[in-house]
Amino acid sequence: MFTIVVYCLLIVIALYLLAGVVFTIFFQAKGLSCIDEGTHGSSLGFRVIIIPGCIVFWIVLLRKWMNIKAKNRAKANKEKRLL
Amino acid sequence: MGTSYSAVGWNRQKRIYDQVIAGCCVLYLVLFVLITVTVNPDCTFETVLLRSTSTLAVFILHVILSIGPLTRLNKKFLPLLYNRRHLGVTMFLLSAVHAVFGILQFHSLGNVNPLVSLFTSNTHYGSIADFPFQSLGFFAFVIFLLMAITSHDFWLHNLTPKTWKTLHMFVYLAYFLVVMHVMLGVIQYETNPVFVVIMISGAFILITLHLIAGMAEVKKDKKAYRPEEEGFVQVCDVRDVEESRAKIFCIAEERIAVYRHENKIYAIHNVCKHQGGPLGEGKILDGCITCPWHGYQYLPHNGQSPPPFTEKVSTYKVKITGNTIWLKPTPDTAGTTQQGAAVPAE
Ligand code: HEM
Ligand code: FES
Repeated sequence: MFTIVVYCLLIVIALYLLAGVVFTIFFQAKGLSCIDEGTHGSSLGFRVIIIPGCIVFWIVLLRKWMNIKAKNRAKANKEKRLL
Repeated sequence: MGTSYSAVGWNRQKRIYDQVIAGCCVLYLVLFVLITVTVNPDCTFETVLLRSTSTLAVFILHVILSIGPLTRLNKKFLPLLYNRRHLGVTMFLLSAVHAVFGILQFHSLGNVNPLVSLFTSNTHYGSIADFPFQSLGFFAFVIFLLMAITSHDFWLHNLTPKTWKTLHMFVYLAYFLVVMHVMLGVIQYETNPVFVVIMISGAFILITLHLIAGMAEVKKDKKAYRPEEEGFVQVCDVRDVEESRAKIFCIAEERIAVYRHENKIYAIHNVCKHQGGPLGEGKILDGCITCPWHGYQYLPHNGQSPPPFTEKVSTYKVKITGNTIWLKPTPDTAGTTQQGAAVPAE
């Protein structure tokens, strides 16, 4: 019984991290520069060094990215209406 | 500060610091292997690797945890504080070698997944003499891993400083887990009590240091200030503040740094916008108050970082009567320009 519980926990964690890997690919391509100005003109070494953190904390980054996108969209709509 | 990120913020001093750390680690590991081979020639390679990396990691962990209280007790230890992050990552890498080899050696030969085996090969969780001590090591390792992968400033900004700080406070839990991992492990495979004695003395030193530094701090914070006058309180004599240096005062639970710069007195909030470093423990370099932790800078008269940076801290009004400095402990908005108070000629 205990062994099964440990197996299940490991599988859940593995799935979460797998989702993190997929997220990180998109995030490195598009999201990074969107959420933090400090990343403009940053080095390749910096991008590599934050990969493990992106895989683990992807939920936090995704939330931040979506919030900023929603804000930008609202701003764009407002400007359209003004025109 | 506000500029773009690089992988590792190295400069000349930090390079020297890192080279010293690396040199000491290599020296320790080589000596450990040589001594083990001469004293106990039957020892396997895996055992030497497991023991040399784990003991070094535990030693570095003690150094890391002592740096905070030591610098609070004596400024001479400040250079150690500078770059503590790299010590942490070094400790993590050493404990990773130990953890991976531990799992490989004890759990990867059966047909059960090694990580499952780590928790289920021994299930005497109710026993002290047979406790599965490796699981405690595993949880400590997970904490070190999370701290190491979030050690870059990018994470401080994007997880928010509060979350980041909370995460890094878990180092104390990890330390406790390591102590139990070693103590419960040693009961099982070692008759020599030397490990236990070293661990207990280490913990004793750490706790004592934290208590002494904590008590010194509380005493400073409890100091009552002289009667007020138009909201100003009397803090100290101008001759007590050296040129380009500060004294820190804790008034109504806020810490304020009172700086002397080109014979004028200025006061700013003591907490650095980067990671909360104590600005009053730094000094003025190139006309800017420079944080002792990682070198963020602020102009003394308005608490603003010089352009292109955008950080700001609160400033306070000061005045001087005779030789006494008076301070108004209600902060002005971050970045407010203050006239400061001229120090009277001797
Ligand atoms: C997955 C994580 C870990 C596993 C599987 C593990 C496994 C082990 C094992 C099997 C031993 C006994 C070694 C022997 O027979 O000589 C041991 C001892 C020890 N461990 Fe760990 N450990 C882990 C994490 C850690 C961490 C994070 C630290 C501290 C930084 C640590 C510090 C020590 C120390 C100081 C000893 C006693 C010295 C020694 O015998 O190596 N361990 N560990
Ligand atoms: S805390 Fe990092 S520079 Fe002040």
